[in-house]
Amino acid sequence: MQQRLSFEDEITKNKIKSFLLIIIIFAFFVLLGYVISFVFDPSYFFFIMVISIIFSLSYVLVSYYYSHNIAIASVGAKPASPIKHRNFFHAVENMVLASGLPMPKLYVMESNEINAFASGRNPRNAVICITTGALNKLNKQELEGVIAHEMSHIANYDIRFMTLTTVLIGMISIISQIFLRNLWFASRDREERENAIFFLIAIIVAILAPIAAQLVSLAISRKREFSADASAVKFTRYSPGLISALQKIKNEHLSPEQTNKEKITYPKALAPLFISDPFKKKIQNLFSTHPPIEERINVLKKM
Amino acid sequence: MAFFIWVLLAILLLIAIIFVYYFNRFVILSNRIDNSLSQIDVQLKKRADLVPNLIETVKGYAKHEKKIINEVTEARKALLKAKDISSKVKAGDQLQTALKSIFALAENYPNLKANENFLHLQQELSAIEDKIAYARQYYNDAILIYNNSCTTFPGVFFAKIYSKQPKEYLKIAPSEKSVPKIEF
Repeated sequence: MQQRLSFEDEITKNKIKSFLLIIIIFAFFVLLGYVISFVFDPSYFFFIMVISIIFSLSYVLVSYYYSHNIAIASVGAKPASPIKHRNFFHAVENMVLASGLPMPKLYVMESNEINAFASGRNPRNAVICITTGALNKLNKQELEGVIAHEMSHIANYDIRFMTLTTVLIGMISIISQIFLRNLWFASRDREERENAIFFLIAIIVAILAPIAAQLVSLAISRKREFSADASAVKFTRYSPGLISALQKIKNEHLSPEQTNKEKITYPKALAPLFISDPFKKKIQNLFSTHPPIEERINVLKKM
Repeated sequence: MAFFIWVLLAILLLIAIIFVYYFNRFVILSNRIDNSLSQIDVQLKKRADLVPNLIETVKGYAKHEKKIINEVTEARKALLKAKDISSKVKAGDQLQTALKSIFALAENYPNLKANENFLHLQQELSAIEDKIAYARQYYNDAILIYNNSCTTFPGVFFAKIYSKQPKEYLKIAPSEKSVPKIEF
Protein backbone atom coordinates (compact mmCIF):
# COMPACT_ATOMS: atom_id res chain seq x y z
CA MET A 1 0.00 0.00 0.00
CA GLN A 2 2.69 2.47 0.97
CA GLN A 3 4.34 2.62 -2.44
CA ARG A 4 1.45 4.49 -3.92
CA LEU A 5 0.83 6.75 -1.01
CA SER A 6 0.97 10.02 -2.92
CA PHE A 7 -1.33 8.55 -5.50
CA GLU A 8 -3.77 7.46 -2.84
CA ASP A 9 -3.38 10.77 -1.07
CA GLU A 10 -4.65 12.64 -4.05
CA ILE A 11 -7.60 10.31 -4.36
CA THR A 12 -8.36 10.66 -0.69
CA LYS A 13 -8.24 14.42 -1.02
CA ASN A 14 -10.72 14.25 -3.86
CA LYS A 15 -12.88 11.86 -1.90
CA ILE A 16 -12.88 14.12 1.14
CA LYS A 17 -13.82 17.08 -1.00
CA SER A 18 -16.76 15.35 -2.61
CA PHE A 19 -17.73 13.78 0.70
CA LEU A 20 -17.75 17.18 2.38
CA LEU A 21 -19.89 18.51 -0.42
CA ILE A 22 -22.40 15.73 0.06
CA ILE A 23 -22.34 16.19 3.83
CA ILE A 24 -23.00 19.91 3.51
CA ILE A 25 -25.89 19.33 1.12
CA PHE A 26 -27.27 16.57 3.27
CA ALA A 27 -26.92 18.61 6.46
CA PHE A 28 -28.74 21.43 4.78
CA PHE A 29 -31.66 19.17 3.94
CA VAL A 30 -31.75 17.60 7.37
CA LEU A 31 -31.68 21.02 8.96
CA LEU A 32 -34.47 22.21 6.70
CA GLY A 33 -36.44 19.06 7.42
CA TYR A 34 -35.89 19.46 11.13
CA VAL A 35 -37.00 23.08 11.12
CA ILE A 36 -40.12 22.31 9.10
CA SER A 37 -41.00 19.25 11.16
CA PHE A 38 -40.43 21.25 14.33
CA VAL A 39 -42.88 23.87 13.14
CA PHE A 40 -45.49 21.52 11.68
CA ASP A 41 -45.34 17.77 12.02
CA PRO A 42 -42.67 15.02 11.84
CA SER A 43 -44.34 13.61 8.72
CA TYR A 44 -42.98 16.59 6.76
CA PHE A 45 -39.64 14.86 6.81
CA PHE A 46 -41.03 12.69 4.02
CA PHE A 47 -41.65 15.76 1.91
CA ILE A 48 -38.06 16.81 2.36
CA MET A 49 -36.86 13.42 1.21
CA VAL A 50 -38.88 13.84 -1.98
CA ILE A 51 -37.18 17.16 -2.58
CA SER A 52 -33.81 15.56 -1.98
CA ILE A 53 -34.66 12.89 -4.56
CA ILE A 54 -35.46 15.60 -7.11
CA PHE A 55 -32.26 17.35 -6.17
CA SER A 56 -30.08 14.26 -6.51
CA LEU A 57 -31.76 13.44 -9.82
CA SER A 58 -30.98 16.86 -11.21
CA TYR A 59 -27.44 16.48 -9.88
CA VAL A 60 -27.10 13.22 -11.74
CA LEU A 61 -28.59 14.75 -14.89
CA VAL A 62 -26.08 17.58 -14.80
CA SER A 63 -23.21 15.16 -14.33
CA TYR A 64 -24.68 13.07 -17.15
CA TYR A 65 -24.70 15.95 -19.60
CA TYR A 66 -21.30 17.26 -18.53
CA SER A 67 -19.75 13.88 -17.70
CA HIS A 68 -17.02 14.25 -20.30
CA ASN A 69 -16.10 17.77 -19.16
CA ILE A 70 -16.03 16.64 -15.55
CA ALA A 71 -13.92 13.60 -16.38
CA ILE A 72 -11.44 15.63 -18.41
CA ALA A 73 -11.20 18.38 -15.81
CA SER A 74 -10.78 15.95 -12.92
CA VAL A 75 -7.65 14.34 -14.39
CA GLY A 76 -6.30 17.68 -15.61
CA ALA A 77 -6.08 16.56 -19.23
CA LYS A 78 -5.28 18.94 -22.06
CA PRO A 79 -6.62 18.83 -25.63
CA ALA A 80 -4.37 16.76 -27.87
CA SER A 81 -2.53 18.62 -30.60
CA PRO A 82 -2.68 17.14 -34.10
CA ILE A 83 1.04 17.85 -34.61
CA LYS A 84 2.54 16.83 -31.30
CA HIS A 85 0.30 13.80 -30.78
CA ARG A 86 0.21 12.76 -34.39
CA ASN A 87 0.24 9.03 -33.61
CA PHE A 88 -2.70 9.44 -31.28
CA PHE A 89 -4.70 11.25 -33.95
CA HIS A 90 -3.85 8.67 -36.59
CA ALA A 91 -4.81 5.78 -34.33
CA VAL A 92 -8.12 7.40 -33.42
CA GLU A 93 -8.88 8.34 -37.03
CA ASN A 94 -8.20 4.75 -38.05
CA MET A 95 -10.54 3.42 -35.39
CA VAL A 96 -13.18 5.99 -36.35
CA LEU A 97 -13.05 4.60 -39.87
CA ALA A 98 -13.10 1.01 -38.65
CA SER A 99 -16.01 1.53 -36.25
CA GLY A 100 -18.08 4.07 -38.20
CA LEU A 101 -18.40 6.22 -35.06
CA PRO A 102 -18.06 10.00 -35.17
CA MET A 103 -14.66 11.45 -34.30
CA PRO A 104 -14.38 11.92 -30.52
CA LYS A 105 -12.60 14.87 -28.91
CA LEU A 106 -9.08 13.93 -27.93
CA TYR A 107 -7.25 14.74 -24.72
CA VAL A 108 -3.86 13.89 -23.29
CA MET A 109 -2.95 13.71 -19.62
CA GLU A 110 0.57 13.87 -18.26
CA SER A 111 1.38 10.53 -16.70
CA ASN A 112 4.07 7.92 -17.10
CA GLU A 113 1.80 4.94 -16.81
CA ILE A 114 -0.11 3.42 -19.70
CA ASN A 115 -3.78 4.16 -19.45
CA ALA A 116 -6.67 5.68 -21.33
CA PHE A 117 -10.34 6.33 -20.78
CA ALA A 118 -13.41 7.34 -22.72
CA SER A 119 -16.29 9.48 -21.56
CA GLY A 120 -19.36 11.27 -22.85
CA ARG A 121 -23.05 10.45 -22.81
CA ASN A 122 -23.25 9.34 -26.47
CA PRO A 123 -20.91 8.87 -29.46
CA ARG A 124 -21.56 12.44 -30.65
CA ASN A 125 -20.30 13.87 -27.36
CA ALA A 126 -17.55 11.38 -26.69
CA VAL A 127 -14.03 12.14 -25.54
CA ILE A 128 -10.99 9.90 -25.42
CA CYS A 129 -8.21 10.72 -23.03
CA ILE A 130 -4.84 9.00 -23.03
CA THR A 131 -1.72 9.26 -20.91
CA THR A 132 1.54 10.50 -22.35
CA GLY A 133 3.04 7.24 -21.07
CA ALA A 134 0.75 5.26 -23.34
CA LEU A 135 1.71 7.42 -26.33
CA ASN A 136 5.41 6.93 -25.61
CA LYS A 137 5.45 3.25 -24.72
CA LEU A 138 2.94 1.70 -27.10
CA ASN A 139 3.61 1.03 -30.77
CA LYS A 140 1.09 1.65 -33.51
CA GLN A 141 -0.73 -1.69 -33.24
CA GLU A 142 -0.89 -1.54 -29.45
CA LEU A 143 -2.13 2.04 -29.49
CA GLU A 144 -4.82 1.14 -31.99
CA GLY A 145 -5.86 -1.76 -29.77
CA VAL A 146 -6.21 0.50 -26.74
CA ILE A 147 -8.10 3.16 -28.73
CA ALA A 148 -10.34 0.47 -30.19
CA HIS A 149 -11.16 -0.69 -26.66
CA GLU A 150 -12.15 2.86 -25.71
CA MET A 151 -14.15 3.32 -28.91
CA SER A 152 -16.02 0.13 -28.01
CA HIS A 153 -16.97 1.63 -24.66
CA ILE A 154 -18.35 4.60 -26.60
CA ALA A 155 -20.09 2.39 -29.15
CA ASN A 156 -21.63 0.19 -26.43
CA TYR A 157 -22.98 3.22 -24.54
CA ASP A 158 -21.10 2.04 -21.46
CA ILE A 159 -20.91 5.58 -20.15
CA ARG A 160 -24.68 5.91 -20.29
CA PHE A 161 -24.92 2.57 -18.53
CA MET A 162 -22.59 3.66 -15.76
CA THR A 163 -24.64 6.81 -15.24
CA LEU A 164 -27.86 4.83 -15.10
CA THR A 165 -26.47 2.42 -12.53
CA THR A 166 -25.33 5.38 -10.48
CA VAL A 167 -28.88 6.73 -10.58
CA LEU A 168 -30.28 3.33 -9.75
CA ILE A 169 -27.99 2.75 -6.81
CA GLY A 170 -28.73 6.28 -5.63
CA MET A 171 -32.46 5.67 -5.82
CA ILE A 172 -32.16 2.37 -3.99
CA SER A 173 -30.22 3.97 -1.17
CA ILE A 174 -32.71 6.84 -0.97
CA ILE A 175 -35.63 4.44 -0.78
CA SER A 176 -33.89 2.40 1.92
CA GLN A 177 -33.20 5.62 3.74
CA ILE A 178 -36.83 6.65 3.61
CA PHE A 179 -37.86 3.23 4.80
CA LEU A 180 -35.44 3.20 7.70
CA ARG A 181 -36.52 6.65 8.72
CA ASN A 182 -40.23 5.84 8.57
CA LEU A 183 -39.56 2.74 10.57
CA TRP A 184 -37.97 4.80 13.25
CA PHE A 185 -40.91 7.19 13.38
CA ALA A 186 -43.39 4.34 13.26
CA SER A 187 -41.85 2.42 16.09
CA ARG A 188 -41.75 5.56 18.17
CA ASP A 189 -45.37 6.42 17.53
CA ARG A 190 -46.91 3.10 18.38
CA GLU A 191 -45.10 0.79 20.67
CA GLU A 192 -45.89 -2.39 18.76
CA ARG A 193 -43.31 -5.10 19.08
CA GLU A 194 -45.31 -8.00 17.61
CA ASN A 195 -43.65 -8.24 14.22
CA ALA A 196 -40.19 -7.43 15.48
CA ILE A 197 -38.59 -10.16 13.34
CA PHE A 198 -40.16 -8.74 10.21
CA PHE A 199 -38.83 -5.31 11.10
CA LEU A 200 -35.38 -6.72 11.72
CA ILE A 201 -35.35 -8.44 8.30
CA ALA A 202 -36.62 -5.28 6.64
CA ILE A 203 -33.87 -3.23 8.27
CA ILE A 204 -31.21 -5.68 7.13
CA VAL A 205 -32.59 -5.65 3.58
CA ALA A 206 -32.70 -1.87 3.55
CA ILE A 207 -29.07 -1.74 4.63
CA LEU A 208 -27.86 -4.45 2.27
CA ALA A 209 -29.81 -3.43 -0.85
CA PRO A 210 -27.55 -0.53 -1.90
CA ILE A 211 -24.44 -2.68 -1.35
CA ALA A 212 -25.92 -5.51 -3.37
CA ALA A 213 -26.83 -3.12 -6.18
CA GLN A 214 -23.27 -1.82 -6.17
CA LEU A 215 -21.87 -5.34 -6.42
CA VAL A 216 -24.16 -6.18 -9.31
CA SER A 217 -23.14 -3.06 -11.20
CA LEU A 218 -19.46 -3.88 -10.66
CA ALA A 219 -20.00 -7.40 -11.94
CA ILE A 220 -21.64 -5.95 -15.05
CA SER A 221 -18.80 -3.47 -15.40
CA ARG A 222 -16.30 -6.37 -15.48
CA LYS A 223 -18.37 -8.13 -18.11
CA ARG A 224 -18.40 -4.95 -20.16
CA GLU A 225 -14.61 -4.90 -20.17
CA PHE A 226 -14.63 -8.28 -21.89
CA SER A 227 -17.15 -7.12 -24.45
CA ALA A 228 -15.13 -3.95 -25.10
CA ASP A 229 -12.03 -6.12 -25.66
CA ALA A 230 -13.98 -8.25 -28.10
CA SER A 231 -15.28 -5.24 -30.04
CA ALA A 232 -11.76 -3.81 -30.07
CA VAL A 233 -10.59 -6.91 -31.91
CA LYS A 234 -13.52 -6.56 -34.27
CA PHE A 235 -12.36 -3.03 -35.11
CA THR A 236 -8.65 -3.75 -35.48
CA ARG A 237 -8.89 -7.35 -36.75
CA TYR A 238 -5.62 -7.79 -34.96
CA SER A 239 -5.82 -9.10 -31.40
CA PRO A 240 -2.01 -9.24 -30.82
CA GLY A 241 -2.02 -5.41 -30.67
CA LEU A 242 -4.35 -5.22 -27.67
CA ILE A 243 -2.79 -8.32 -26.10
CA SER A 244 0.69 -6.84 -26.08
CA ALA A 245 -0.67 -3.50 -24.83
CA LEU A 246 -2.33 -5.32 -21.92
CA GLN A 247 0.91 -7.23 -21.35
CA LYS A 248 2.80 -3.95 -21.08
CA ILE A 249 0.21 -2.62 -18.63
CA LYS A 250 0.51 -5.80 -16.60
CA ASN A 251 4.29 -5.52 -16.43
CA GLU A 252 3.85 -1.95 -15.30
CA HIS A 253 1.57 -3.09 -12.50
CA LEU A 254 4.26 -5.45 -11.33
CA SER A 255 6.82 -2.65 -10.98
CA PRO A 256 5.00 0.06 -9.10
CA GLU A 257 8.00 2.34 -8.36
CA GLN A 258 6.99 4.56 -11.24
CA THR A 259 3.59 5.35 -9.85
CA ASN A 260 5.31 6.67 -6.76
CA LYS A 261 5.98 9.87 -8.63
CA GLU A 262 2.54 10.02 -10.13
CA LYS A 263 0.49 12.99 -9.11
CA ILE A 264 -2.56 12.30 -11.24
CA THR A 265 -5.81 11.99 -9.41
CA TYR A 266 -8.24 9.50 -10.80
CA PRO A 267 -11.76 9.97 -9.49
CA LYS A 268 -13.04 6.60 -8.44
CA ALA A 269 -16.20 6.97 -10.50
CA LEU A 270 -14.06 7.07 -13.63
CA ALA A 271 -12.36 3.75 -12.92
CA PRO A 272 -14.70 1.59 -15.02
CA LEU A 273 -13.95 3.74 -18.06
CA PHE A 274 -10.20 3.19 -18.02
CA ILE A 275 -8.58 0.45 -20.06
CA SER A 276 -7.08 -0.98 -16.89
CA ASP A 277 -8.08 -0.27 -13.33
CA PRO A 278 -6.15 2.89 -12.40
CA PHE A 279 -6.17 1.85 -8.75
CA LYS A 280 -4.32 -1.38 -9.48
CA LYS A 281 -5.67 -3.41 -6.64
CA LYS A 282 -3.42 -6.37 -5.99
CA ILE A 283 -6.28 -8.62 -5.00
CA GLN A 284 -9.08 -9.34 -7.41
CA ASN A 285 -12.37 -9.21 -5.55
CA LEU A 286 -16.06 -8.43 -5.77
CA PHE A 287 -15.33 -4.72 -5.66
CA SER A 288 -13.06 -4.67 -8.72
CA THR A 289 -14.20 -2.68 -11.71
CA HIS A 290 -12.02 -4.65 -14.13
CA PRO A 291 -11.40 -8.36 -14.64
CA PRO A 292 -7.81 -9.51 -14.08
CA ILE A 293 -5.52 -8.65 -17.00
CA GLU A 294 -4.31 -12.26 -17.37
CA GLU A 295 -7.88 -13.37 -17.86
CA ARG A 296 -8.48 -10.69 -20.46
CA ILE A 297 -5.31 -11.69 -22.31
CA ASN A 298 -6.34 -15.35 -22.24
CA VAL A 299 -9.75 -14.54 -23.66
CA LEU A 300 -8.19 -12.38 -26.36
CA LYS A 301 -5.72 -15.12 -27.29
CA LYS A 302 -8.60 -17.46 -27.97
CA MET A 303 -10.10 -15.09 -30.55
CA MET B 1 -68.16 -6.59 -32.31
CA ALA B 2 -66.25 -3.53 -31.18
CA PHE B 3 -63.67 -5.83 -29.63
CA PHE B 4 -62.91 -7.51 -32.97
CA ILE B 5 -62.52 -4.17 -34.68
CA TRP B 6 -59.99 -3.14 -32.05
CA VAL B 7 -58.06 -6.39 -32.42
CA LEU B 8 -58.08 -6.02 -36.19
CA LEU B 9 -56.86 -2.43 -35.90
CA ALA B 10 -54.10 -3.46 -33.52
CA ILE B 11 -52.95 -6.19 -35.90
CA LEU B 12 -53.00 -3.81 -38.86
CA LEU B 13 -51.04 -1.25 -36.88
CA LEU B 14 -48.49 -3.89 -35.90
CA ILE B 15 -48.09 -4.96 -39.52
CA ALA B 16 -47.68 -1.35 -40.61
CA ILE B 17 -45.03 -0.81 -37.92
CA ILE B 18 -43.14 -3.91 -39.05
CA PHE B 19 -43.23 -2.74 -42.66
CA VAL B 20 -42.00 0.72 -41.72
CA TYR B 21 -39.30 -0.80 -39.50
CA TYR B 22 -37.91 -2.97 -42.27
CA PHE B 23 -38.11 -0.19 -44.83
CA ASN B 24 -36.14 2.10 -42.50
CA ARG B 25 -33.72 -0.65 -41.65
CA PHE B 26 -32.79 -1.18 -45.29
CA VAL B 27 -32.48 2.56 -45.86
CA ILE B 28 -30.27 3.02 -42.78
CA LEU B 29 -28.08 0.10 -43.72
CA SER B 30 -27.60 1.20 -47.31
CA ASN B 31 -26.95 4.78 -46.16
CA ARG B 32 -24.25 3.38 -43.93
CA ILE B 33 -22.73 1.62 -46.92
CA ASP B 34 -22.86 4.82 -48.99
CA ASN B 35 -21.25 6.75 -46.17
CA SER B 36 -18.43 4.24 -45.81
CA LEU B 37 -17.90 4.41 -49.57
CA SER B 38 -17.50 8.17 -49.36
CA GLN B 39 -14.99 7.64 -46.52
CA ILE B 40 -12.89 5.47 -48.84
CA ASP B 41 -13.30 8.10 -51.52
CA VAL B 42 -12.10 10.88 -49.22
CA GLN B 43 -8.95 8.95 -48.36
CA LEU B 44 -8.24 8.10 -52.00
CA LYS B 45 -8.65 11.78 -52.88
CA LYS B 46 -6.29 12.79 -50.07
CA ARG B 47 -3.71 10.33 -51.35
CA ALA B 48 -4.04 11.65 -54.91
CA ASP B 49 -3.61 15.21 -53.59
CA LEU B 50 -0.33 14.35 -51.90
CA VAL B 51 1.18 12.72 -54.97
CA PRO B 52 2.17 15.86 -57.01
CA ASN B 53 4.00 17.17 -53.97
CA LEU B 54 5.83 13.88 -53.63
CA ILE B 55 6.73 13.81 -57.32
CA GLU B 56 8.20 17.31 -57.07
CA THR B 57 10.35 16.28 -54.13
CA VAL B 58 11.52 13.09 -55.81
CA LYS B 59 12.32 14.93 -59.04
CA GLY B 60 14.66 17.18 -57.11
CA TYR B 61 16.89 14.21 -56.21
CA ALA B 62 16.21 11.49 -58.76
CA LYS B 63 15.35 13.25 -61.98
CA HIS B 64 16.33 10.43 -64.30
CA GLU B 65 14.08 7.82 -62.69
CA LYS B 66 11.48 8.75 -65.27
CA LYS B 67 9.84 5.34 -65.49
CA ILE B 68 8.75 5.12 -61.88
CA ILE B 69 7.76 8.78 -61.74
CA ASN B 70 5.62 8.33 -64.83
CA GLU B 71 4.02 5.23 -63.33
CA VAL B 72 2.94 7.20 -60.27
CA THR B 73 1.64 10.12 -62.34
CA GLU B 74 -0.32 7.78 -64.58
CA ALA B 75 -1.80 5.89 -61.65
CA ARG B 76 -2.84 9.19 -60.09
CA LYS B 77 -4.47 10.30 -63.34
CA ALA B 78 -6.32 7.00 -63.57
CA LEU B 79 -7.54 7.44 -60.00
CA LEU B 80 -8.84 10.96 -60.67
CA LYS B 81 -10.55 9.80 -63.85
CA ALA B 82 -12.21 6.76 -62.28
CA LYS B 83 -15.96 7.16 -61.90
CA ASP B 84 -17.41 4.29 -59.88
CA ILE B 85 -15.99 3.01 -56.62
CA SER B 86 -14.64 -0.31 -57.81
CA SER B 87 -12.52 1.30 -60.52
CA LYS B 88 -11.47 3.97 -58.03
CA VAL B 89 -10.34 1.35 -55.55
CA LYS B 90 -8.53 -0.51 -58.32
CA ALA B 91 -6.75 2.66 -59.42
CA GLY B 92 -5.98 3.36 -55.80
CA ASP B 93 -4.33 -0.03 -55.46
CA GLN B 94 -2.25 0.68 -58.56
CA LEU B 95 -1.18 4.02 -57.13
CA GLN B 96 -0.29 2.25 -53.91
CA THR B 97 1.99 -0.17 -55.76
CA ALA B 98 3.59 2.67 -57.72
CA LEU B 99 4.18 4.62 -54.49
CA LYS B 100 5.82 1.59 -52.93
CA SER B 101 8.37 1.51 -55.74
CA ILE B 102 9.04 5.23 -55.18
CA PHE B 103 9.74 4.57 -51.52
CA ALA B 104 11.93 1.60 -52.45
CA LEU B 105 13.74 3.89 -54.89
CA ALA B 106 14.51 6.31 -52.08
CA GLU B 107 16.79 3.66 -50.56
CA ASN B 108 19.26 4.44 -53.37
CA TYR B 109 19.18 8.18 -52.74
CA PRO B 110 20.27 8.96 -49.17
CA ASN B 111 19.68 12.67 -49.70
CA LEU B 112 16.12 12.07 -50.79
CA LYS B 113 15.59 9.65 -47.92
CA ALA B 114 16.78 12.27 -45.46
CA ASN B 115 14.67 15.03 -46.98
CA GLU B 116 12.21 16.28 -44.39
CA ASN B 117 9.45 16.90 -46.87
CA PHE B 118 9.88 13.42 -48.32
CA LEU B 119 9.80 11.82 -44.88
CA HIS B 120 6.69 13.74 -43.98
CA LEU B 121 4.95 12.70 -47.21
CA GLN B 122 6.00 9.12 -46.68
CA GLN B 123 4.47 9.11 -43.21
CA GLU B 124 1.30 10.79 -44.44
CA LEU B 125 0.90 8.35 -47.28
CA SER B 126 1.40 5.31 -45.09
CA ALA B 127 -1.14 6.73 -42.62
CA ILE B 128 -3.58 7.14 -45.50
CA GLU B 129 -2.90 3.57 -46.54
CA ASP B 130 -3.98 2.41 -43.07
CA LYS B 131 -7.08 4.53 -43.27
CA ILE B 132 -8.05 3.16 -46.64
CA ALA B 133 -7.67 -0.35 -45.27
CA TYR B 134 -9.86 0.42 -42.26
CA ALA B 135 -12.45 2.24 -44.36
CA ARG B 136 -12.64 -0.77 -46.66
CA GLN B 137 -12.98 -3.08 -43.69
CA TYR B 138 -15.88 -1.00 -42.40
CA TYR B 139 -17.43 -0.94 -45.86
CA ASN B 140 -17.33 -4.71 -45.98
CA ASP B 141 -18.72 -4.89 -42.42
CA ALA B 142 -21.59 -2.65 -43.48
CA ILE B 143 -22.21 -4.82 -46.54
CA LEU B 144 -22.19 -7.93 -44.36
CA ILE B 145 -24.84 -6.50 -42.04
CA TYR B 146 -26.91 -5.37 -45.02
CA ASN B 147 -26.62 -8.71 -46.79
CA ASN B 148 -27.43 -10.59 -43.60
CA SER B 149 -30.65 -8.69 -43.16
CA CYS B 150 -31.43 -9.13 -46.86
CA THR B 151 -30.96 -12.88 -46.85
CA THR B 152 -32.13 -14.05 -43.41
CA PHE B 153 -35.73 -14.58 -42.38
CA PRO B 154 -37.85 -12.45 -42.02
CA GLY B 155 -35.70 -9.80 -43.70
CA VAL B 156 -35.58 -11.80 -46.91
CA PHE B 157 -39.36 -11.42 -47.21
CA PHE B 158 -39.20 -7.63 -46.90
CA ALA B 159 -36.13 -7.45 -49.15
CA LYS B 160 -38.26 -9.00 -51.90
CA ILE B 161 -41.08 -6.55 -51.30
CA TYR B 162 -38.76 -3.52 -51.37
CA SER B 163 -36.70 -5.20 -54.15
CA LYS B 164 -33.40 -5.01 -52.26
CA GLN B 165 -30.57 -7.18 -53.49
CA PRO B 166 -27.47 -8.31 -51.60
CA LYS B 167 -24.48 -6.07 -52.44
CA GLU B 168 -20.97 -6.90 -53.59
CA TYR B 169 -18.01 -6.90 -51.24
CA LEU B 170 -14.87 -4.98 -52.08
CA LYS B 171 -12.24 -7.44 -53.21
CA ILE B 172 -8.87 -7.12 -51.60
CA ALA B 173 -5.88 -7.07 -53.92
CA PRO B 174 -3.47 -9.93 -53.16
CA SER B 175 -0.70 -7.50 -52.22
CA GLU B 176 -2.81 -6.08 -49.40
CA LYS B 177 -3.48 -9.39 -47.75
CA SER B 178 -0.02 -9.49 -46.22
CA VAL B 179 0.27 -9.53 -42.44
CA PRO B 180 0.90 -6.07 -40.95
CA LYS B 181 4.47 -5.77 -39.77
CA ILE B 182 5.12 -5.04 -36.14
CA GLU B 183 7.53 -2.27 -35.19
CA PHE B 184 9.47 -2.43 -31.99
